[in-house]
Amino acid sequence: MRCKEASHKLQLYLDNRLTIQQIRTLEAHLASCNACMEELTIFETVVNDLETFKVVAEPDDLNVKIMRRVAIAASQRNTSPSRFSLWHPSLLEILVAAALATIATIGTILQQSSIRSMLPIANGHDGLSLAYFNMLHALMNVDSTALILALWIAGTLLGVCITLIFAGSEMRTQWFKAMMERLPVR
Amino acid sequence: MREHLLQSSQTIGIPLTNVAPSAVEQDDLLLVAASKNGDQEAFAQLVQRYQRLVFNLVYRMLQQYEEATEITQETFLAAWQGLPAFRGDARFPTWLYRIAYNCSLKQLELRKRDRALQVALEAERILGNASDEQRENAELDAHDRQLLVQEHLSHLPTKYRIVLILRHLQDMTYEEMAEILTMPIGTIKTHLFRARNLLKERLQSFNHESDMG
Repeated sequence: MRCKEASHKLQLYLDNRLTIQQIRTLEAHLASCNACMEELTIFETVVNDLETFKVVAEPDDLNVKIMRRVAIAASQRNTSPSRFSLWHPSLLEILVAAALATIATIGTILQQSSIRSMLPIANGHDGLSLAYFNMLHALMNVDSTALILALWIAGTLLGVCITLIFAGSEMRTQWFKAMMERLPVR
Repeated sequence: MREHLLQSSQTIGIPLTNVAPSAVEQDDLLLVAASKNGDQEAFAQLVQRYQRLVFNLVYRMLQQYEEATEITQETFLAAWQGLPAFRGDARFPTWLYRIAYNCSLKQLELRKRDRALQVALEAERILGNASDEQRENAELDAHDRQLLVQEHLSHLPTKYRIVLILRHLQDMTYEEMAEILTMPIGTIKTHLFRARNLLKERLQSFNHESDMG
């Protein structure tokens, strides 16, 4: 065994990671090599010094302090709202949501011509239907760019309204304050 | 520093590898399961069992008693909060050690950024140098050499310090260290060998200086 190899094996020897055969080979080398023997002695000194480090006693009240923090964390976890109860809708929000759902449902129903013909209104011959067709006709005659712009603005406003409804009162208040701060004139 | 050293013959008191591990592991599993269900009494038992182990690891990493006390608390708090995610793939102390190591690393990073503490450490270093000079004049005995090794240990890079602490102060195997530090065994060996070589070189140079003096 060469010194370079022995030097590497010394550390494995310290960690009890050598086989009996490897230990015998290393010990045979150490018996005839003073430099490697000296290296082993220094390694053993380092390891012995490390292993005789005294255990440091933790503070007496460490357990109490830990459990106090754990209790606080546990109580916070119990009182914090769950993922599914973050949104508590107000009565107004419920009413708006119900109105939107009703409009959507009525719109879907009125698209069915068989249902529409059974109704006293919106059957194509009553005043409401005529007004609807007149309005549609007027819209068709309007400049398409202006119509798209108007629809885009209306859609954006509707989107903002729906977002604010579902964001909750706290978010609405913050949004309102932020908007007021950005207004050039108050 | 308000540290209290126990007798060297006193073990760390936690059967990690040598004393009936299966019984302890079984008990840990029961306590962990109860803790997951919010049983704070069960968690208090786990704290009682592992606080010295964790505290000593953190203390050797940070070298400051008060800071180690705080980080040990944070370690157990993080363990409590992380219990729902603990699936039992690793043993509880291994998992806890990993948290303690990460908390210590985080604290070391914070310490680096804390200028005031840097200044304090610098002052401490100057005082340390003064005591070095005094020590050079005195006869070097075994106790002094231990202090020297301890001092050198604190100046080693973190990655080397942790493997020395786990191997020689906590008596862990390569496999256990690899699990805690989430590193391949080859890397653990490389770090450990380099760390011991660094300590050996520093001890040799100190011995040489003493002989010259």
